[in-house]
Amino acid sequence: MDRIIEILKAVHPEVDYETETGLIDKRIFDSFDVVTIVGELMDEFDIEITAEHMIPENFNSAEAIAELVRTLEEE
Amino acid sequence: MSLISIDFALFVCLALLIYFAVPKKFRWIVLLVASYAFYAQSGTENLIYIAVTTVSAYICAFLIEKKKEGMDAYLHDKGADISKEEKKAYKAGVKKRQKLILIAGLLLNFGILAYLKYANITIAYINLFRLTHYGRTDFIPFRDFLLPLGISFYTFQTMGYLIDIYYGKYGRERNFFKFALYVSFFPQVVQGPISRFGQIASQLYEGADFDFARLKSGFYRIMWGLFKKLVIADRLAGFVSETMAQKDAYRGFYIVIAIFAYSMQIYGDFSGGIDVALGVAEMFGIKLPENFERPFFSKSISEYWQRWHITLGTWFKDYIFYPLSLNKGIIKLGRIAREQKMTALGKRIPIYVPMLFVWTLTGMWHGSESRYVVWGLFNFVFIVLGTELEPLSKKITAKLTLVESDFVMRAYRAGKTFWLMSFLRLFDINRDVKDAFTAFSYVFQGWGHFDINRIFENLSLPMEEMIVAAIAIVIMFIVDLIQRRGSVRAKIFALPVPVQWCFLSLLVLAVSVFGYYGPGFDAASFIYGAF
Repeated sequence: MDRIIEILKAVHPEVDYETETGLIDKRIFDSFDVVTIVGELMDEFDIEITAEHMIPENFNSAEAIAELVRTLEEE
Repeated sequence: MSLISIDFALFVCLALLIYFAVPKKFRWIVLLVASYAFYAQSGTENLIYIAVTTVSAYICAFLIEKKKEGMDAYLHDKGADISKEEKKAYKAGVKKRQKLILIAGLLLNFGILAYLKYANITIAYINLFRLTHYGRTDFIPFRDFLLPLGISFYTFQTMGYLIDIYYGKYGRERNFFKFALYVSFFPQVVQGPISRFGQIASQLYEGADFDFARLKSGFYRIMWGLFKKLVIADRLAGFVSETMAQKDAYRGFYIVIAIFAYSMQIYGDFSGGIDVALGVAEMFGIKLPENFERPFFSKSISEYWQRWHITLGTWFKDYIFYPLSLNKGIIKLGRIAREQKMTALGKRIPIYVPMLFVWTLTGMWHGSESRYVVWGLFNFVFIVLGTELEPLSKKITAKLTLVESDFVMRAYRAGKTFWLMSFLRLFDINRDVKDAFTAFSYVFQGWGHFDINRIFENLSLPMEEMIVAAIAIVIMFIVDLIQRRGSVRAKIFALPVPVQWCFLSLLVLAVSVFGYYGPGFDAASFIYGAF
């Protein structure tokens, strides 16, 4: 989780990732941010994120992103 | 049968009557029959194309899911006996076979679309090349066909479904006829919106209860769509094309007015048509996705494209942009650039390369001529510039102590976006790229010779027509302004019933009296002349 927040902070340092649950819905992240983050996640955790995972629910909060990473690591 | 015709209105009434007369579980069948009856009206020979798309997508989805079921069964039986690596390799093998089926489906359907859309323009280019380079005049004859109704829309919608099935977003529709309804649902088959299966499937198949409030709401939306289409768009169409055809004689302010008028025309035309489609669907209890979200209030071009033709934009985003952007090759390319100390470039590659591709395709989607590709590329360049110049723009704003949320700043940003997008539309209303640039250069000439009477007399927009158009545009603007604070219809329906009917009567009256029914439509000119 800490590593994920580190990655997110590198993109948008001003956000409080502990509480924010509308990263996509509130348009805090745009497509550009998400793609950058996804590239980093794939690198860091050796997982494959594809278009099917690119739904707002997976990126709305740091917790959701962590959950996505956990699921993909198990596959 | 046009969405805007008496025939269509009668058709919808009849379909509604039968829809609510039959038991709920058969209602989807009424929609399917109505959809195919509607489609056959555009030419029975067109049915073959939509049938091929329906059958091929159904079979591909079936095969893709069968592979998954086989995999699940295998892993269920043998999962405990094989290693993690073996499991991974097995899954990868199944995924590869699923991908092959998907690619076959995509190639067939986009192949048909590409052939129908680009065969004749390709022949034209070949003929031109042979003539200019070899002096050959034995031209290859053009193919004799018309584009089947809504082929771009239903192809995109159906291929989106197939890709979703491949990704396992949801299970496939097992009932072939229900699936055929999803492909052909008549309000949306002509010009969208491009719906996702998950958005509308259950609504299509479950059947809606009769609800007078919903019928009224749908009717309101249809009338509002007709207002935008008939009172604004159709009224301005003649003026726009006349001005562009005679642009040598009408430079400067005339061109600027025509560009503005075309933006109003295309918005009224397209969003009005979508309002009709959504209103009709609403009457059947089906909520189609919105395609416009007040695009002229956008503060940047990328925001504009999230608010104009939304369902096409999200289609390209989900099915072209992301798959390319998340492609290992592209990410690797970005990483190589970063490792070479070109961090800025590395960060941009996984975004701009797919975007360039998306905009080329978006251009091609809009039309087969090269001017549409150039239009797409201009959009790409403007979006890139907008993104790259944002820090500079922020600095300037801060230096001038301007506040982005102030009305003046928002109006400035919206105005800038509006005019940039409007100028780009010169590619739409001119014959080729050169012509569009000529029209653009004329914007800066002949400002001293403006005489509004020449518009009234020579450019198919008499004074009374211009006044009606101007008032209608102001009404459209005000309605859009109100809409920023929630649904306008919801606000109207909160008023006392007599007031609601007053609004509706005014709207119906405006469409019947001020709707532009074109030359030769005697009733319209008669009613209009009597005022």
